[in-house]
Amino acid sequence: MKSTVDATPFFSLPILAAPILVAFLLCGCDAPVEHYPPNEVYSLVVSAKLDAPTELAAEDTTAALEAWFGTPIEPRWPVEQMSRDGAKTLVSLENLQRAAGPVYSDQSNRHFGLFNEHCVTCHGVSGGGSGPASLLQNPYPRDFRAGVYKWKSTERGAKPTREDLLAILRHGAPGTAMPSFRQVSEDDLEALVDYVIYLSVRGEFERRLLTEAVVELGYEETRPDDDASLLTLAGFDQDAFAVEVARDTLDRITGQWVDADQAVIPVPEETPAGDASIERGDALFHGRIANCAGCHGKQGSGDLVTFDFDDWTKEFTEGIAVTPTDREAVRPFRKAGALRPRQIHPRKLTEGVYRGGGDPETLYRRIVAGIAGTPMAGIMVSGEPSATGLTGDQVWDIVHYVKSLGEAK
Amino acid sequence: MSENETNEATPNPADERSKLLHRLAVLSVCLVWPLIWVGGLVTTYDAGMAVPDWPGTYGYNLFLYPLSTWIYGPFDLFIEHGHRLLGAVVGLVAIAMVVAALRREDRRWVLWLTVVILVAVISQGALGGVRVLLSDRTTAMIHGCFGPVVFALCCVAASVTSRRWWDRRRAANATQSAKPLGGVVLAMATLPVLLSYLQLVLGAQLRHVQPLTTPGTFTLIVAVHIVTAFGLWLLTPVLFVLVRRCGDLTLSRPAGWLIWFVGFQILLGTGTWIVNYGWPSVLEFLPFGEGFLVRSKGFLDSIIVTAHVAVGSLILATSAVVLVQVLRQRTLATHV
Repeated sequence: MKSTVDATPFFSLPILAAPILVAFLLCGCDAPVEHYPPNEVYSLVVSAKLDAPTELAAEDTTAALEAWFGTPIEPRWPVEQMSRDGAKTLVSLENLQRAAGPVYSDQSNRHFGLFNEHCVTCHGVSGGGSGPASLLQNPYPRDFRAGVYKWKSTERGAKPTREDLLAILRHGAPGTAMPSFRQVSEDDLEALVDYVIYLSVRGEFERRLLTEAVVELGYEETRPDDDASLLTLAGFDQDAFAVEVARDTLDRITGQWVDADQAVIPVPEETPAGDASIERGDALFHGRIANCAGCHGKQGSGDLVTFDFDDWTKEFTEGIAVTPTDREAVRPFRKAGALRPRQIHPRKLTEGVYRGGGDPETLYRRIVAGIAGTPMAGIMVSGEPSATGLTGDQVWDIVHYVKSLGEAK
Repeated sequence: MSENETNEATPNPADERSKLLHRLAVLSVCLVWPLIWVGGLVTTYDAGMAVPDWPGTYGYNLFLYPLSTWIYGPFDLFIEHGHRLLGAVVGLVAIAMVVAALRREDRRWVLWLTVVILVAVISQGALGGVRVLLSDRTTAMIHGCFGPVVFALCCVAASVTSRRWWDRRRAANATQSAKPLGGVVLAMATLPVLLSYLQLVLGAQLRHVQPLTTPGTFTLIVAVHIVTAFGLWLLTPVLFVLVRRCGDLTLSRPAGWLIWFVGFQILLGTGTWIVNYGWPSVLEFLPFGEGFLVRSKGFLDSIIVTAHVAVGSLILATSAVVLVQVLRQRTLATHV
């Protein structure tokens, strides 16, 4: 017994040191993320679509992007490259810098590193939707870089308004991992919205610039001449052709964000939601024009067998003639960071769960515009009943019917 | 001669033990577990950097930071500064334990145990300081992994200084027939300590995940975490049955608690996932999951997550106490 007893202090050292060693071995050092990861999946997509090498174009796009948009530690908003005033003030640089970088707060409860605190685990550093926890979520977190948003008040192809982004942050998306940030201050939410717009603009700019590099600037296995080289974006030659192309591209992207408010879908006054309206909605829901039952099933039961994918998945599968279930064909994209293709299923409407919001106005817009990035199509709204579209009143009838399905539960 | 008569004849060493040391050890247990709760809340609320300096608080000495600013200030600052204050109190208790052991503790290894606890508490405080000064998440993770070790050491100290620790020797002397628990039991008692600590480290990996960790790595850690949890749960009843055979309640009781603790911990783990990442697909068959809304920084949600952290420490500490008691039983039975 004595010998065991005396040895205790000597054994205690490894006991104390072991957890530290194990932790270090498992996770390594906490180096700050100094660069945004490039969009390698899209680079492969462009290469496959255009049958052209994109390595060099991707490399230069990354360098150009960093010159214009900065880094995760020091983000920039390239106002000097924008022609519209609305674009220059689209986001606040102070908010971007508050949302980026390490997490901390001060005595007045002002929080910094908001994106790292609230979003990065799912959406990833560059907002690519492939953060550490993304693979275990269904649906996957949104990839901001495509510039496509589901939950908005605007037309299908338009960007969301700031209020739309704030609404999704406040309310979350029930039935998904997207939380409600109601407990977070309005200032912090505004900063997060700015950062999401920034990541989206930056990501879309990366995609379009990469395409332009191959299509317009002549990037192949070698760099084009200096005038068309993307490296000029980081230099002082502001008259170079590449800079001109990049500015045009940036203007087009930011312009869509600036004009988002004008793309809000008008909602006519709601019609009375009585039994008659629900009955008419039932007929329209199962009818030929709206044909909601074609995907959502009879009475919105969601029991139809469908085989479809969202647009984010289709981009690296069906968009380039790759079968989503063909593991071998998908493997290069998975290696580049794409998440496993996963089917998208129409909502079961009898549960009364609406991820993007269930108030009547939102449902009206959802029926009219559909859901961008998904197979959920919109419908044409006309003043008079026709064989191809619905009137506003008929859309309201469908809204009332859909609401009745959820309320029946 | 009856057992009672033997006990009456033998002087009871329990009467000679340091009651003060035991009380201090129990006090340390009662302080460190809440300290782990508060530390867990600090991480849950991302409040680790609510006070940018260390060892002071916004330029003040730790103990002199204005009470009103602390109480009525931001919640993040409240819990971070509170965590530091409670940690300092634990440090004082750890010093008192060493002094009490020096004054009246014959067992050198117990004296060393108190020294180890003091060193561990100081190291843990220093780790917390480094985490703040470097704003480093990895150090935060190590800080989070080391806290349960301190708690387990305090629980072991409380166990070995208790009256029951000595009463068992009397009982063993009296019966003269105790058989040592076998190597299998020792191995089965060691496994929960290792597995529960592995679980803590894996959990910390998920909690302090680095932004560039790949989804595949994260998923693998989650999978190992879940499989190990169920493995540990299956192990606990086996351990309970094995240690129960020696008829010692000080062994079988904590071994029995382990079954409940690990079962409860699995529920808390499920809850932690749900409040962080929503309703998992594998639980879709449950009727109330559809439409579940995750709420960032919700109070109840934070309590569930933090409870998962705290109960993890409790499992490690209970496993450690069971292991120490098994070793004790083997030693006593061999020396009878």
